[in-house]
Amino acid sequence: MVRFKSRYLLCEVCVEDRSSLLLLEERTIYQAVKAAVARAHGDYGSALLILSFAVKYVNAHTGVILIRCRKSHYRILWSALPFMSCLENRGQKVPCSINCLHIGGTIRTCQKFLVKYSTQQLHRMLPHCTTEAERDEVRRAVLSCSLEKERDVEEEEAEEEWDDE
Amino acid sequence: MSGAKHRMRNKKMRDQPTSVTYSASGWRNGGDTPAGRASDFHHAKGQDLPQQGGGWVRGHQSGGSVYPKELPKYITSTYFARARSAEVKAMLKAVNKTTGSCHTAGALPKHMRRRAMSHNTKRLPTRLREGAQRMLEKSLQAAKKEKKEESKAKSRKARRRHGNLLLEFNRRQRKNIWLETHIWHAKRFHMVKKWGYCLGVRPTLKCYRACYRAMSSHCLLQDLSYYCCVELQGPEEQLLSALSRLTSKDTGPTFAAVQCLSGRRQGSVVLYRPDQYPAQPLGPVLFLWRPRSEGSTHRQLWIWGHPTLKQDLLSELQALCQCSEAVMPVPEPVPSPAVEAVAVPTKDPPQKPVTGRKRKRAEQDSDGQPAKKILGDGTRSPTCPVTWKSPTTGIVINDLTMEMVRYRLIGPLSHTVLTEALSPATDCEEAAKSGQSCFWWPEYSNQEQNMALHREQADVFQLLKGVYSSTEIPAGSVLGLTVDDPRITLPRRRVRAQPDLQQAIGVDEEKRRALTLQGVPEHCCQSALWDRSVRDNVTDNKLPEKELNRMRSELLVPGSQLTPTPLQGRVPMLLVHQPGKQLGQEMPSWGVGWDLLLPKGWGMAFWVPLVYRGVRVAGLQMSQKHSQHKGAPHFPHDYPDCPAGARFQDEQQAELMDKFTRRPPAKRTNYIKHGCLAPFRCPWQQLVEEWVEIVKETGKGSDSRTEVETAGAPPSRFSVLRSRKVLKQLSAWCRPSSSRGQRLQRGPQPPPPPPLSPAAAAALRASHGQGLAWARFSLLAKGRPELHAMVCAPTEEDLRLLSRDPQCAGPQEPRHTDHFRKHVKSARKARKSKRSDEKAEGASAEKATTKKPDAASDPSSGSADQPGSVPEVTSTPASVSDGDSSAIPALAWPPVATPDQDPSAAAPAAAAAAPAEAERLVLGLWPEPLPSVTSHCSRVTLGWVTQGDFSLTAGCGEALGLVSLAGLLHVLLGQPPERRGIVLLRNPSSLQYRFAKVTIEA
Repeated sequence: MVRFKSRYLLCEVCVEDRSSLLLLEERTIYQAVKAAVARAHGDYGSALLILSFAVKYVNAHTGVILIRCRKSHYRILWSALPFMSCLENRGQKVPCSINCLHIGGTIRTCQKFLVKYSTQQLHRMLPHCTTEAERDEVRRAVLSCSLEKERDVEEEEAEEEWDDE
Repeated sequence: MSGAKHRMRNKKMRDQPTSVTYSASGWRNGGDTPAGRASDFHHAKGQDLPQQGGGWVRGHQSGGSVYPKELPKYITSTYFARARSAEVKAMLKAVNKTTGSCHTAGALPKHMRRRAMSHNTKRLPTRLREGAQRMLEKSLQAAKKEKKEESKAKSRKARRRHGNLLLEFNRRQRKNIWLETHIWHAKRFHMVKKWGYCLGVRPTLKCYRACYRAMSSHCLLQDLSYYCCVELQGPEEQLLSALSRLTSKDTGPTFAAVQCLSGRRQGSVVLYRPDQYPAQPLGPVLFLWRPRSEGSTHRQLWIWGHPTLKQDLLSELQALCQCSEAVMPVPEPVPSPAVEAVAVPTKDPPQKPVTGRKRKRAEQDSDGQPAKKILGDGTRSPTCPVTWKSPTTGIVINDLTMEMVRYRLIGPLSHTVLTEALSPATDCEEAAKSGQSCFWWPEYSNQEQNMALHREQADVFQLLKGVYSSTEIPAGSVLGLTVDDPRITLPRRRVRAQPDLQQAIGVDEEKRRALTLQGVPEHCCQSALWDRSVRDNVTDNKLPEKELNRMRSELLVPGSQLTPTPLQGRVPMLLVHQPGKQLGQEMPSWGVGWDLLLPKGWGMAFWVPLVYRGVRVAGLQMSQKHSQHKGAPHFPHDYPDCPAGARFQDEQQAELMDKFTRRPPAKRTNYIKHGCLAPFRCPWQQLVEEWVEIVKETGKGSDSRTEVETAGAPPSRFSVLRSRKVLKQLSAWCRPSSSRGQRLQRGPQPPPPPPLSPAAAAALRASHGQGLAWARFSLLAKGRPELHAMVCAPTEEDLRLLSRDPQCAGPQEPRHTDHFRKHVKSARKARKSKRSDEKAEGASAEKATTKKPDAASDPSSGSADQPGSVPEVTSTPASVSDGDSSAIPALAWPPVATPDQDPSAAAPAAAAAAPAEAERLVLGLWPEPLPSVTSHCSRVTLGWVTQGDFSLTAGCGEALGLVSLAGLLHVLLGQPPERRGIVLLRNPSSLQYRFAKVTIEA
């Protein structure tokens, strides 16, 4: 079996004002990236990109996005990303830069990387906390970054519901 | 996306994190993000996020679109951390769960899969073991639920041990009676459970033609033991007076026929309910009188009938003979085998084995009741009465069901098979004769007169060797005989019995001529089989196969014949000649044969030797074909006026309907389009009534006399015509006037019947208006008639067509339109939508239990086309038949024709009115009530075919069926005398009419 091989780019949207991050949307990113590629590589580049270009995941709270493109042409996308300077959503222009964290062959590897990366960030945050409440909060967040057994129970329920159908 | 695919996808994406955005948009990129889920997830996630006092402010609205979410003014590390941790959690969940199939085997890459992983979880990698274990348990439980655990208390070897096997067999024949040859048949035949018996239908090997060849040139064997025998005993006059009420002389010889009454011939009659002739027939039976014993008027009569007939027959006989007093069967005394067990060892002590057997016997005794093979009727409780006595008339009725074995040999060489397989009983030595024994033969042979009779019977039997064909023997002859155990003369391999006429030429020429001309002398018809005591004695003292084999093994010369014949091996039997085709002029006495009547228990002992003489064995299917080739009606298929026949019709309808509905709807024949009203069941009553109406209407102007007579007749049930005189008349009328067949008649010429004229026909119609006539149809050209093919009257145009070109295929029926199609479809659609609604409701309910209630599935969404909205009938269907039916000038159409339009218009309306009824509609079948059956098609229907096939005897398609007498006369009158007796046949699933010649054989 032969499949289309893709590359997934795990990126982080860096904005000055954190709140403007909440404007983040799949469509916004899609259009912005397309425009950036067209600007950097012309029609040829954008046409190659469009083949299997998709925004797979967007998190408006953390600014993490996951972009898919063909494995053969991911460099076109990759090289265009640094030239993005703003995102536009509903008439609002948000100046930003896009920081590519990881390039993976599957979503899974990207997810794994993201887990590692986020935990690391949280760990780094912990010593810089100023107030006690803050420290507490962050500690709790760090602790919650693991899966417990309860996941299995939940899953089992789901599976049973499944079989009943 | 189809349901299954959707489910699969849902399952796969269940653990995948979806985008978290603040505007719930249905936008999809890449085409594979389920948009619905995004918003869902958002809600779920939103709850996790901190609600920071008044930190969330409402954003401004621009361009009319709502800016739904509040944006935080400032950011805290708490918020940051929470968002991160939530994301990490989601990602972790996605990462830890394999996205592939949930089957653990599928989750593994191919190169890691190993055999039998699903059975032994230890073969799996540790991380997958848990899930696999769960799956395994689940599947085990499901399997348990599906089929109950088979109790395998005993090993196969134990189960197959003789005693246990017998117990198992006895258990299995508790519901349906097994014939004695059951095991033999079950190994070679397709078996069915029918009429309370297990019977073979046809052999598993292909032998249709071979069986036909055997019937017509050699010999075919059938086990007819399932036929029921009822014994009547009593004074001759009493019996005859009682039985005469059941029969009528019109239908041929009755119980009192001289030849039959003397016991020389077996007779056959059709029985009616007492004094009801010609209405309410019961069915055909065979009967056999025991020859008179000197100076006694006490007679014995056996009536053999089909099992479906037995209950009716028994109750009628009981009422007639006033035999109300049931004689309770005596609890069986320990029968003579016990005596035999003592007697045998005393008689031949050197043969008694020393070891081995003793142990086994002891073992059986310790078991208590040894398993005993069931002989006779295993389904009847032993306390059920089988004998009824009449206190006034002295008549005793005995139910001898399964008390005797009846084998039928069909074919011209069946007598050769018999003479080869059987040998008359040898006399036993003087020593045995003088000594006291429990066997019947020594005692019987002690009397000189018995031995003289036996020698005479043996002589007659030997004469059969020189007979060329069984046809030469007078029909229905009976020969009593006592024969040796045929197992002793069993050939080493199967041989084909051939007549040896060279040897027989010149020997006993005179005697043989006497036999063929006069039949078996009267006293030779006597047999010890008539005595119950002898029968029981023979049955009880049958030498088991094991003993016989042991005796054979002790012979000095291996393979030589056992001499002298053991004392047990003398069996009384009756040979009954079975006449072949008696009526009609073609193939006279085809299918002739002999019936063997044997005491019960001896079935297999005679069966195997007969089979070893090269006979073919056939089942129910062939017996039907036998009667078809003979042109005789087959019980119960062709007796729709009998109660058993009516029951059979019900069963057949259900069976055919079941077969029809088993096909996918698109592959079913649309019988409506073929203009076939009743493909599965023939509405005889309706046919007859309609023909009476038609005749009345047409006869109104011309013949007032008929009208008066028919008007006086009360409406009655249809009946099949069986009066010999009327049938003879009809058969003469059916023949074209120039036929050469008429001159071929043998014997004294009967007075010629009156020629066909309207007056004669009217007279006949007046007396038998509700009659059906049994007729044979032979196709003139191509075609193979099938079951329930329609018999139709040709129009004048058709006849002209035939005279122009005798080989023409025949006219075509115009295609009918199916007005019910719409209703069937709409009803089905309504049903389907209803079902899907229910399903959706169920699914949503389920979802509600696991997740929060969802408004996605609205139970009322699919209710727009509920069954209540079956569309109304728009137009009355155009009558197909009306245009063509006017082509028959002889039939000025009475108003009967108009119901053709009315019911077809009314029926859909009714269907539309009641949706419940619409559910019962089956595509391609006319719903009840049927419209006029006679005038539904372009040719008038006369009757239907009940048996039809390509006839190997005639070499063309042949059918047997019943036609309305009134209709037949109508057709005959309308045809020119030189071309009389031409009808049309049309199969239910075809539009092609075929010309056929109708013959009534009488």
